Amino acid sequence: MGTVYITQDDAFIGKTDERLQVKAQKKTLLDVPMLKVEGVVVLGRATISPAALTELLERKIPLSFLTGTGRYLGRLEPPLTKNIFVRSAQWQAAGDSDKAIHVVRSFIRGKLKNYRSMFLRAQRENAALNLQAAITRLEQAIAPINATDTIDSLRGLEGAGSAAYFGGFDALIRADGFRFESRRRRPPTDPVNALLSFGYALLLHDIQSAVNIVGFDPYLGYLHTQRYGRPSLALDLMEEFRPLVVDAVVLATLNRRSLTLSDFTTEALSQAVSLSDEGRRTFLRLYEQKKQSKFKHPVLGTQCTYQEAFEIQARLLAKYLMGETQQYPPLVLK
Amino acid sequence: MNDYIPIAALNQYDYCPHRCWRMFCAGEFLDNQYTLEGTHLHERVHTVGDGYREEVWQVRAVWLKSERYGLIGKADLIEAHDGCWYPVEYKRSAKGEFDNDALQVCAQALCLEEMTGQPITQGFVYYAQSHQRQAIALNDELRQAAIATLAAVKTLLETGQMPPAIYSPRCRGCSLRQQCLPQAAPKVDRYQETH
Repeated sequence: MGTVYITQDDAFIGKTDERLQVKAQKKTLLDVPMLKVEGVVVLGRATISPAALTELLERKIPLSFLTGTGRYLGRLEPPLTKNIFVRSAQWQAAGDSDKAIHVVRSFIRGKLKNYRSMFLRAQRENAALNLQAAITRLEQAIAPINATDTIDSLRGLEGAGSAAYFGGFDALIRADGFRFESRRRRPPTDPVNALLSFGYALLLHDIQSAVNIVGFDPYLGYLHTQRYGRPSLALDLMEEFRPLVVDAVVLATLNRRSLTLSDFTTEALSQAVSLSDEGRRTFLRLYEQKKQSKFKHPVLGTQCTYQEAFEIQARLLAKYLMGETQQYPPLVLK
Repeated sequence: MNDYIPIAALNQYDYCPHRCWRMFCAGEFLDNQYTLEGTHLHERVHTVGDGYREEVWQVRAVWLKSERYGLIGKADLIEAHDGCWYPVEYKRSAKGEFDNDALQVCAQALCLEEMTGQPITQGFVYYAQSHQRQAIALNDELRQAAIATLAAVKTLLETGQMPPAIYSPRCRGCSLRQQCLPQAAPKVDRYQETH
């Protein structure tokens, strides 16, 4: 089951015995055992009964609220665990400490190496693509990471790598009518950017849940600093997963024609592009499928789903910060 | 920390010091099938008050405390026959999975001796799976072991120093395995990221 997404406006979330139920217009949309629910994400308007709310909190199931277009509003979550040791290690490493520099290198290396893999794979599958220049620029950003020892300079490398990646991203889209020029947010003004933004909002919910379960304070990050109200550590840990989960789902959705241009609408005044209700349901289903898909974890050598990998990476980060391990290995997949 | 040591922590420490740290220092606990079966069993034991069983007077779910050792906890069952008291601990398993139940019975007896002022010579462990009662002789050796474990747990709770997570066959049945990832640290340190 995993995460329950509620997209129906004016849905009612209630509970009966040990089951979570979602109803709209007198119809039951969903009826699942609470045991199987790992998270609830409300998109748009929904009402939740006090009993269901209490049950979610008692079972430590996070509830996130997103706008209909997927912008993250906030969440209700169980209290931080009593594991003060994890938070104390997290705070001790704050700022420009050696540990902070180490994990920032890892976050950025993880993301840029996964970006590079996407391009290398696309290039292998289609020799007509001309991604070599972008791959070279990515490698120029990856190479100096381990020798760079200020977080600001590392941010510069991350920026250069991301620019190279998004500069070539359009070549990965094989569906007619969908183009990508550059990353545009708040609001996204084209379908591809709308899907990316939506996907990153969903991913943030998932990573923040993992960070919280492990006992971290999600607001204290290393690469992303304490900007008010931004779950910085969740954003940090999200970096390596952006290409692996969200970009992969967006490209698969478009290239397999699971969504077409008719699934998007443009708001006349702001040019903000958003998904139709049907399109949103399709994308959520594909995103959830991706999260439940399995792969071999390169460090542990065991099979796991992406959903499990979020928590595994958060635990590996905790182990490094607490001095149990000598490094934080980002999730890098071939 | 001038707190009493929970008797249950002794058993956990004997099972795995790292698990004991997670439960009693980091406040982590997750049920798995074993702990759920155990809780259910304990609920059954603890819902009954006192009564007689074949001339044996029984009291269930008794709070125990020792000022001398700084221990606190609950006994599943206390029995008295011929004017002597005996603690009885219920376990879900069959006998002999991990031999740390004797320690818990011994800690209960230390409390009971202080509370009643009488020496206690033996206790029992009742194994639900095999319906067996196992007598535990509260000899000097066991008492020393219980007191030594108690001192180790006291230090752990006072310092909060995390004992290392060491992988062993016991990890298979541990409900905190997903949190602890006992095999991760050596794997992380051996890991070479692709270039």
